[in-house]
Amino acid sequence: MLAQPFNGFENYREVFRDQTFRTVFVNSIVYTLITVPGQMAVGLLTAILLNGIKRFSVTFRVINYLPVVTSWVIASLVFRYIFNTEGLLNYFLWKIVKVTSANIRWLDTRWGGISVAMILGIWKGIGWNMVIFLAALQQVPADLYEASEIDGCGAWKKFIHVTLPGIRGTILFALIELTIGGFNVFTSIKMITGGKPAHQTDTLLTWMYYKAFSTGRFGYAAALSFVMALCLGLLAVVQFRMMRSRDN
Amino acid sequence: MRSLNRTKIRSMVCRYILLALGTVIFTLPMIYMISTSLRPNGALYEYPPRFFPKWEALTLENYCYILSQSKFYLNFLNSVFVSLTTIVLAAALSSAMAFVLGKFKLKANRLIFGFIILSMIIPGTTMIVPQFELATKLNLVNHLWGLIPFYIAWVIPFSTFMIKGFMENIPGEIMEASWIDGANVWTVFTQIALPLASPAVASVSIFNFLTAWEEYPWANTVINDTGKRTLPIAIAGFFGQHQFTQWGYVFAMSVLTLIPVILIFILCQKFFVQGLTAGSVKG
Repeated sequence: MLAQPFNGFENYREVFRDQTFRTVFVNSIVYTLITVPGQMAVGLLTAILLNGIKRFSVTFRVINYLPVVTSWVIASLVFRYIFNTEGLLNYFLWKIVKVTSANIRWLDTRWGGISVAMILGIWKGIGWNMVIFLAALQQVPADLYEASEIDGCGAWKKFIHVTLPGIRGTILFALIELTIGGFNVFTSIKMITGGKPAHQTDTLLTWMYYKAFSTGRFGYAAALSFVMALCLGLLAVVQFRMMRSRDN
Repeated sequence: MRSLNRTKIRSMVCRYILLALGTVIFTLPMIYMISTSLRPNGALYEYPPRFFPKWEALTLENYCYILSQSKFYLNFLNSVFVSLTTIVLAAALSSAMAFVLGKFKLKANRLIFGFIILSMIIPGTTMIVPQFELATKLNLVNHLWGLIPFYIAWVIPFSTFMIKGFMENIPGEIMEASWIDGANVWTVFTQIALPLASPAVASVSIFNFLTAWEEYPWANTVINDTGKRTLPIAIAGFFGQHQFTQWGYVFAMSVLTLIPVILIFILCQKFFVQGLTAGSVKG
């Protein structure tokens, strides 16, 4: 099974001609474009709120970090159970707050399934962002805030002109790490939708895995993962460059 | 002055309300998991669904069932064995590597460090196909030793990167003094560098433990036998076993799997934060 003759770039040609490849590529891009800013924004907001309080700060931090240490398998199954068609969330939306007029079939449609995976991804990532942004916020010199207060800056202006520039390095670091993580999404998709219906919810990695281990197309899968590794490598180089040029 | 104080208090109250609200929403999935694991299996598809089980229906039967299966203990021990072996070997290898990279000026250092950064960028799962070929060639498929070397290889780059930062900060004079006293590289490493870098080693070891404890894609690929499964694939296997998932069992097992992780997390919180923030704040 593993020993296949050398066939030049045929595998690569097949990858790029494949309709399903385009679908899963778009899925991975959408997943990354939504979960990365999503978890960064909520994580940063939580960090800012936490930075200003004294009591219970550690309690909030510990509780909000728990999803990060929960394993992907377990978290995915919990979300699958909550988003079940006859499950808790649909009941809540339909019968209690009455914003929907029927059960939503979250797990049976392309964007429904991906939405569940994205909500899980954001939920699970907030704690990590919170901790690293909190550490960054504590490094922003307090006199900058005092100076801007004297200049009459409101909370929003302080955020834009003092906080954001002060934590720039951490933002870029998080961006790199999370982008890599976004393209690495695997377990949640496999557990929540399993790629159904008809590979519509597959991402690059779950599709590669299916090709290799369910159809035995190891060459195709290897070509796909090489393309992916190349993209991630290039992305990281670009982001590192950005980081360095901003530092100078 | 008084109005300023009042706005201060108001913003404080706002912060607490928002944080409390966020935390409640945040913990709902976990609470729902625990509440589901505490109700009888037949009640899991009750309609309308209930967030909390009826008080009189609370039961530990799911836990009793899981704990009565010898399979569970086997899976648990497999996970413990794999995770502990991984963290011990990874700590030894990466601290030795970090020592050399951080304390000696060798020509190959730049190249090695380049490889470390590269492998940090490309996640392990992407490489699952070539890794599987490697495991097949080494006859490691369906064996716990098919997991450990791969986990070690995955965690070494990040661990080395972290410990290296610590090693670099060890003052050169301490080491020079022992060179003059005639100590060899091994003695300096074990007697001086390693003890000083131990906080970094501890914090990466916690992360490595988590990685090995929760790893799913690779374990699911390599291990077939029920008796050789680690906890994550055992849980996933439970989920796919019957047409109607036994959610009570799945979540009872999940809670049992999470207990050691949460204990370690709460006990070692300090190392956690240290490890997380070391790489991020610089620059």
